[in-house]
Amino acid sequence: MAMRLTRRYYPVTELKEGAACAYEAGVLTVNYDELKEVAKPYGKNIEKLWFEVCRPNENARIIHVLDTIQPMYKAEAPQDWGGKEYPGILNHPHTAGNGVTNLLEGFAVMECAALPWDESNASSGLLYPREAIIQTKGFYKHYTPFADTINLICNFEVMADKSSEEYDNDIRKSAMAIAQHLAKLTAEQEPAREEVFDNTPVEGLPNVALVWMCQNQGVYANTLLYGLPIYDIVPTLLEPNEMLDGAVVGGNYVWPTYKIPSYIHANGPNILELYRRHGVDLNFKGVIFARSHQPSNWHKDRCGQLIAKIAAQLDCQGLIMQWEGGGNAAIDGMLVVQNAERRGISSALLTFEFGGKDGTEGQLLVDDVPEADAVVSTGSWERVVHLEAVDVAYGGPVLRLEKERGGLFPDAREAIDFETNVHMYMGGNQSGYSRITAHAY
Amino acid sequence: MGTLKALCYINQFFAGLGGEEMAHEGLHVYEGAKGPGIGMEGLWKGEMKVVRTLACGDNFFNLEQNYEAIKDQLLELVKEAEPDVIIAGPAFNAGRYGVACGKFCELVSDTLGIPTVTGMFPTNPAVGMYLRKTLIADCAETAAGMRTSLPMLAALALKLAKREPLAPANVDKYLPTGLRTNEVDDNSAAYRVVDMMLKKVQHKPFVTEVPLRKEELIPAAPPIQDASKIKFGLITMGGLVPKGNPDKIKMYAAESYGTYAIDLSTFNKEHYESVHGGYDTTAVNADPQRLIPYTAALNLQKRGLIGSVAPYFLSTCGIGTNVGMGKKLGAAMAQQIKADGIEAVFLTST
Repeated sequence: MAMRLTRRYYPVTELKEGAACAYEAGVLTVNYDELKEVAKPYGKNIEKLWFEVCRPNENARIIHVLDTIQPMYKAEAPQDWGGKEYPGILNHPHTAGNGVTNLLEGFAVMECAALPWDESNASSGLLYPREAIIQTKGFYKHYTPFADTINLICNFEVMADKSSEEYDNDIRKSAMAIAQHLAKLTAEQEPAREEVFDNTPVEGLPNVALVWMCQNQGVYANTLLYGLPIYDIVPTLLEPNEMLDGAVVGGNYVWPTYKIPSYIHANGPNILELYRRHGVDLNFKGVIFARSHQPSNWHKDRCGQLIAKIAAQLDCQGLIMQWEGGGNAAIDGMLVVQNAERRGISSALLTFEFGGKDGTEGQLLVDDVPEADAVVSTGSWERVVHLEAVDVAYGGPVLRLEKERGGLFPDAREAIDFETNVHMYMGGNQSGYSRITAHAY
Repeated sequence: MGTLKALCYINQFFAGLGGEEMAHEGLHVYEGAKGPGIGMEGLWKGEMKVVRTLACGDNFFNLEQNYEAIKDQLLELVKEAEPDVIIAGPAFNAGRYGVACGKFCELVSDTLGIPTVTGMFPTNPAVGMYLRKTLIADCAETAAGMRTSLPMLAALALKLAKREPLAPANVDKYLPTGLRTNEVDDNSAAYRVVDMMLKKVQHKPFVTEVPLRKEELIPAAPPIQDASKIKFGLITMGGLVPKGNPDKIKMYAAESYGTYAIDLSTFNKEHYESVHGGYDTTAVNADPQRLIPYTAALNLQKRGLIGSVAPYFLSTCGIGTNVGMGKKLGAAMAQQIKADGIEAVFLTST
């Protein structure tokens, strides 16, 4: 039986400080001491936590961005088995996606931290947090929704000589606790609007699934399903509503351009789009969830086969392929498309492209298969990124760049150019959120 | 603004001189519009007129000595007419006509800096030769498609004459040049991918946004006949470098590689590290021989299974590198080791 989820939306149009946290008619009042107390039980390895607010229309840059969360509160769930908001993080890994969820809208809780670059933490070339930037004005604001939201920025300073596992865990849970506390303020209040998500199939429409392959390569490059990293996961079938309730949480800080924040996992642009057309043009059968970066040919083969098999089991005629990550993940995604097409399932995919400075250098895709004939471009990540100077920087005073070359630490407010969009939060647009694309001339 | 001026180039057929039998015909100059120019003037509704039309037989123009002989005269005739834009063809799928149009456009834009446009069917052999040298309208296959092709050519010519920026190729109906620009679309990628998938499911036409590349199969090298007589090399894409990364190899999208001598007394974690940005390098950083198995190779040599192993390795970071750069680096590496008598390599990836 299909799941039925009611989302109640509570817009945040103004944020102010006050004696106690409260939500009333669009005004969110925060008390920072209260929020610190809420986070405290989870912050054993946190030295310091302080807050900033970035509002829409500011000419700002947010740096050292880790995860971003949409605060949600589970108002009603099936009694014996229903999961809470972001299930498995601060609560039991019980099945989400049913009942009623309250969401603060137009508002995000954002984690920022300059996590240590020392040996014990950034132990390898991959697994260290690269500078992640959100620019709120100009062309690059289109990469994320967060230029238009009120962002409560939680700045974390961590204790010395602890492990990356501990930092990662404490920051996530502290921010989640804050988000949960704020969302809970809406309990018993009337929402501004509500929306029902129910994917009961309608006869005569084509069945469609979304494949969502996420990065999981170690601490700082993880994705969590019901609270656990997906290291050894075989492709599994999720209801779209589980995603909407936060069953998947992003913990990838190593490649900001590939980042899919938890906020976006819970508001998957492809999920919302498939839901929009559900019952009208298609039946949204589910989300086939898997790990990208399959480590060997054998794994890749098996994963591609299993995903196509699940799509066939669902009697799908159509499939959307979405992955998080670069070349390795692209190979996995292309194999899914190939396997699905061989079983007669029409597949379309989204991918960033290369092409050098102007599109003419080298190949546009790192990998492809002849069956991949329906490809949406989410833009090239090899174009020079030019960030204009900003009035204010949040998250820290200086950028942290080029660790492998000894480090560069320019003022976070100054204009700066990058050869690629590697540092731009969600710059690869792998969730399909952004309208940025590469046009052919 | 006064009326804009166009200058047209056409072949003997469209000038009304005759068909194939007149393809040897030399340069003809007409004041005003002739052939397709007449139709285009109607479409411009007084905004632009054809001030001069030049025509040559296709065989005549394609002969290098003829072209060289009239080149200066052509440029003089263009300069004198002071056009805002040059229009050649449309050549449809006619190869010689297409080359003549492309060549004329290239000459005028290179020498006089006047914008040029021609029109061809995408498979016209001249397209590949002139795609980046002149704008080419996406025209029909034969002159039977003149009615649909002329409005595209006329509209592009008017835009060029007005010095207006072009819209993307699929909007302004010209053949894409390969240039691609990041821009904000009307719709999100999610909207577009669901729409494209549904069209595919419903067998309705759709256009992929990233063109398929031609599949490029790399043939496997023939197997080694007798490894015991061969010198082996060691290459890795796993980013192993002497500590400090002396050649500053980039951890992603590398554009270079390094060559590093191996001295077993220093080939250890104190002196080497991986700077690769795409995998957990902890194991490699603990022992570089996990990436460059030099001792293992020496053992093979001792046992007589391989001839010898070169006492150095080549290294780069295989991540985020586009295929073009990958080919370039690979070719350079192959050339270097071949010059040193290496006939096979242990290639370790990650």
